[in-house]
Amino acid sequence: MITQYLFYFLTFTAIFCALLVVFSKNPIYSALYLIVTFFATAGHYFLLNAQFLGAVHVIVYAGAIMVLFIYVIMMLNLNKEVEPHKSNIIKIAATVCGGILGLVLIAALRETELGEITEYSNNGIGLIEKLGNVLFGAYMVPFEISTVLFLSAMVGAVFLSKKNIH
Amino acid sequence: MNEIIIVASLGILTLLAEIFNFKKLILPLVVAGLAANIVVGIMEFDLASYYNDADTLRMIESDLYAKCFMMLLSIIALVWVLVNYNFFSDETNQTDHLALILFAIVGGFCMVAYTNFVMLFLGIEILSIPMYVLAGSNKRSLRSNEATLKYFLMGSFATGILLFGITLIYGSIGSFYVYDVRMKTASVDFTITPMFTIGVVMLIAAMAFKVSSAPFHFWAPDVYSGSPTSVTSFMATFVKTAAIAAFMRLFITAFPTAIESYKNVFFILIIASLFIGNIIAVFQTNAKRLLAYSSISHVGFMLLALLCLSEATSLKSLFFYTTAYSFTTLAAFLVLKIVSENASGDDDISVFNGLAQRNPLLAGTMTIALLSMAGIPPLSGFFAKYNMLFMALNHGYLWLVIIAILASLVGVYYYFKIIIAMFTRNSTDSTAIPLSLLQKSLLVLLMLIIITIGWNGWVFNLI
Repeated sequence: MITQYLFYFLTFTAIFCALLVVFSKNPIYSALYLIVTFFATAGHYFLLNAQFLGAVHVIVYAGAIMVLFIYVIMMLNLNKEVEPHKSNIIKIAATVCGGILGLVLIAALRETELGEITEYSNNGIGLIEKLGNVLFGAYMVPFEISTVLFLSAMVGAVFLSKKNIH
Repeated sequence: MNEIIIVASLGILTLLAEIFNFKKLILPLVVAGLAANIVVGIMEFDLASYYNDADTLRMIESDLYAKCFMMLLSIIALVWVLVNYNFFSDETNQTDHLALILFAIVGGFCMVAYTNFVMLFLGIEILSIPMYVLAGSNKRSLRSNEATLKYFLMGSFATGILLFGITLIYGSIGSFYVYDVRMKTASVDFTITPMFTIGVVMLIAAMAFKVSSAPFHFWAPDVYSGSPTSVTSFMATFVKTAAIAAFMRLFITAFPTAIESYKNVFFILIIASLFIGNIIAVFQTNAKRLLAYSSISHVGFMLLALLCLSEATSLKSLFFYTTAYSFTTLAAFLVLKIVSENASGDDDISVFNGLAQRNPLLAGTMTIALLSMAGIPPLSGFFAKYNMLFMALNHGYLWLVIIAILASLVGVYYYFKIIIAMFTRNSTDSTAIPLSLLQKSLLVLLMLIIITIGWNGWVFNLI
């Protein structure tokens, strides 16, 4: 019973804050509301018994990425409303496109039959041990290949930020 | 898998070269490694026991399709490194450039051999992230910065859509494994749900972005013209081949029956690519933008192979088209690079003025390459287009063939604009352009490949 109330509370918080992210005038407020949204999403992970995912979500998104966001906003001083005005045609086109995509997605959601929901028992599905077994078992190859991805991202970051000394 | 391991270790070796200071050796070492990779591939090519994907836990498969495209990508990569030998001459950035390129090659290999959506996503990311960085490798140029930012923002958005599509397909099938998807969708009691359809359409949209097909092409001209010419030629050949091969593989492995249901989507992609690519290219004065639009129109032809997937020759036609297109584009970009470096980085079409007097070999190669792109008979580009159109005709799309021929007739006009500039206009600067021995031999080699590759059908029948 309590999980159900928690679910509704977290969902409401997430959606409400996500809307505030879009509608706040001040970028700093947007960023702060985004943090609340991330925490609410992390709460959902905890409810689904995925503790590790929830913790990582908070650390990575609310921790690292949001700090970076706020840092950039403060450094570039985006607080002032200097955003260039977009033309009305672009605004209308964007609204129509987004609206159509939303309509299609909602229509698809209505038609979707939910499969039978299997009640998860207390098998520790979200624990690090299970995750490790999957990563080093069935998903061994992608896990190893992703090292190449991170290595190239790292080399790229160093390359872009270093000075050319001749 | 061998190819991936070889090239990834070469990339790590390159990074070690920076630390242990054997930078002088690294470029010959990488060339040797890439050549060894090709030799290993050719030796293994005829082995009956291709490892199946059980050995890689259902992630990567080395079937004939993957093998052929991996070989093609390896050869393109080797030729590209040789063609752009001086891209790596700058000592401070040499190892970064090389390592990024080698990692991008690993991504390309994953994209042509995946049997799992996870690997498709990883392959696309591994290929894209080095490309985002390399597009901005000319840090002092404002246009290079614009190119990298534009490519990064739009590319990550496309990746988001790809992931959304994969998620929706996973939601309706319950597996990331492509053969599971195929089995489920082929079974009698499978009804196509809207969720599945939206997933497939999102996958198509994301892949169409990656191959820069027409309604999703807006990034291509800016990125192609803003990036350094060497990087542009890598994008136009290697990245495009890998992306179109991944697109094709999606439909031959996961949804072989679905193509008929989505053929309207492909009609729009093909017709838009052919017309937008060819018609906008007519008005370009910048050679790199012109080649970018021409590459969009070539994507229109390549997508014909996806549309006619049930034809027996569709894989062969696609493989031959990408081969012919890649070598032709490599040759065109090699000439453009030499000529524009000679004109202190200017890449307007006017730099080609009077090239026939300044260096006949460059003008000859460029002429052969452009004629091949236009599809003039004895050259490989003609056979590539002929195979595609013949296959479409067999499939009953006469109207599409007529549209494709009309569009490529427009193409002849702008290709000839450069040829006319080379042979009839007079240049303000009439000094001869010096070529190194490597450049000369590469020009002759590429010219020979373009001329002869279509004469007998061995490339066509390889796959």
